[in-house]
Amino acid sequence: MSHGIAASQKNPSNGKIKILLMGNPNVGKSVVFSKLTGVHVDSSNYAGTTVDYTVGDINFGNKQGIMIDVPGTYSLEATSEAEKVAVALLEENADVIICVLDATHLERNLDLAYQLKEYPIPIVYSLNLMDVAGRQGIKIDVDKLSEELGSPVVPTISIKNIGLRELMEVAIESSKKQVEPGPKLEDQERWDKIREIANKVQSQVDREITFIQKLENWTVQPWPGIPIALLVLIASLGVVVGGGKALRAVILLPLVRQVIMPFLSKLISFIVPAGVFRNVLVGEFGILVIGIEWPFALILPYVFLFYAVFSFLEDSGYLPRIGVLADGILRRIGIQGGNIIPMMLGYGCAVPAILGTRAANSNKERIMVATLVSFAVPCASQSGAFFALLGDRSIFSLIFVYALSILAMLAVGVILNKMITGRSQPLLLEVPNLLLPDKDAFKKKLKLRMKHFLVDAEGPMLIGIVIAAVIAETGILNEISKAIGPFVQGWLGLPKEASLSLLLGIIRRELAVLPLLEMNLNTLQLTVGSVVALFYLPCLSVFAVLTKEFSLKVALLIGLITTASAFLFGGIINHIGSFIIGFMG
Amino acid sequence: MPLAYGQKSSTYRIESLPSSHLLKVLGFREGTQFTVQSKQPFKGPIVVKIGNRSIAIDYDVASEILVEEVGHH
Repeated sequence: MSHGIAASQKNPSNGKIKILLMGNPNVGKSVVFSKLTGVHVDSSNYAGTTVDYTVGDINFGNKQGIMIDVPGTYSLEATSEAEKVAVALLEENADVIICVLDATHLERNLDLAYQLKEYPIPIVYSLNLMDVAGRQGIKIDVDKLSEELGSPVVPTISIKNIGLRELMEVAIESSKKQVEPGPKLEDQERWDKIREIANKVQSQVDREITFIQKLENWTVQPWPGIPIALLVLIASLGVVVGGGKALRAVILLPLVRQVIMPFLSKLISFIVPAGVFRNVLVGEFGILVIGIEWPFALILPYVFLFYAVFSFLEDSGYLPRIGVLADGILRRIGIQGGNIIPMMLGYGCAVPAILGTRAANSNKERIMVATLVSFAVPCASQSGAFFALLGDRSIFSLIFVYALSILAMLAVGVILNKMITGRSQPLLLEVPNLLLPDKDAFKKKLKLRMKHFLVDAEGPMLIGIVIAAVIAETGILNEISKAIGPFVQGWLGLPKEASLSLLLGIIRRELAVLPLLEMNLNTLQLTVGSVVALFYLPCLSVFAVLTKEFSLKVALLIGLITTASAFLFGGIINHIGSFIIGFMG
Repeated sequence: MPLAYGQKSSTYRIESLPSSHLLKVLGFREGTQFTVQSKQPFKGPIVVKIGNRSIAIDYDVASEILVEEVGHH
């Protein structure tokens, strides 16, 4: 999430055009955006708010410029953060507004469409989702609508790239116009006007109910909605775990171990004389050995597949339905159903999950979700490490670790709900249509997420690996192990080298797991090590985002609680496990 | 009758509702008609259909929206 794009690209001069892309939530605005903009896309935070928006470059004919994907809003009354940002971006001025309207919900969309007329900026309306409207038997008289709105209306099917070229041509043409701001209407006056327009331009013929419409209905019913949700989650897990394992075993590990590593080892032994320095580079914990194998072969496939599956579900309009179904249960622990979306995102990375709580939630919910995610949701990197560590050795331990994580979340949720004062914000949302995600929008989103992962995660991970290599190969590790070894051996029952995990786990969550791979541990030790790693400190990036979003105090408190629970649970499992093994053996 | 007690597939008209910006922009106003699409267990949200849009409403909020039944499918 880089800053400053708004400032540096606010008023492009020298003939460049600035377009604001606006519309209600879930009208296919992001698809229009991804089709009309080029490769340089970045999201940024609007200064002083908690809302992010996306900026992309435009290159159309001989016209260059930028397009800003303004957060989707229903109105411009500046009562929510998203609306405040939308109003602020409007007041910064622009050459033209493209306002995307959902043809299947015209009347509701006209509220924003009409309010935009109060600004002295030319508007072009994109009447989108015309194909869906057609299937639902909705007919709209485009010319009449254009006449009523006093601006051009271009019918589009953005997902199939239909009408978008014309939309841009009309937008560039309109940007040359000077417009007077329209009159400001009272709410009731505007609603009456909108109803009148909708009745004039829209007609409905009865159509047979499509399969998608049936599916839309089923997925908000407890039956069969809940079984469908479980199937979707199991299938997603299968794709991430199975696909990741396959990618790792068939392509990445052989590539790294049999091609890249031998080549590098040979190369280094020519250049660097044997000794500490060569060991730091290509020794057992060498920077080049671990630094390539861990991030690229063990972690990356899972992170990539997680974001692919998550982005697909997100763009399909399915996730809010899970929020609706889960609301009853989540309310028991004091948070509303919508929060299940940032919590699921937490299985990818806690940083976007914590940022994702900003949107519309109360402070209580934000702290609760952030704590739960930091506490017990393993991120994709850490899950990759768990699969590598436990997947081949003990499926039982793997299931145990994940079951414990869910139980711990419920328990902590109940406790936090009692401790933190305040109320959660009630669930109130429009359930979006289900649709097959657009390829271009999907690719752009995935690319942006992987870019953030590579920048935010791989850097600290490589630093961690460098530290690991230095302390392991120079003998510093032995000194540290002597100091905390008794605790690690006595309470947790792990070999004293496992101190390395605890040290590195401060930097990245998966680094609390990966060193255990090389230690020949028994099943109990693997389980204890994984449980400690699961609850252990959130990584440095999470610590930073907790400090930024809440306060240093909150970050330290979360760090303290998680670490204390990690050692408590780890020790208890070690002692109970040893007792059972001793009893049976 | 509060909307929270509404039956699935029944149609209602709003008599009164709490003042809320979000309810207003989602189209909930006095006199608005809608059909209950689904109800969720554990006092989960009521999903209603206004025109062809589905909107999920928290149980407590639905308890504050007073409606009158106008039909059943």
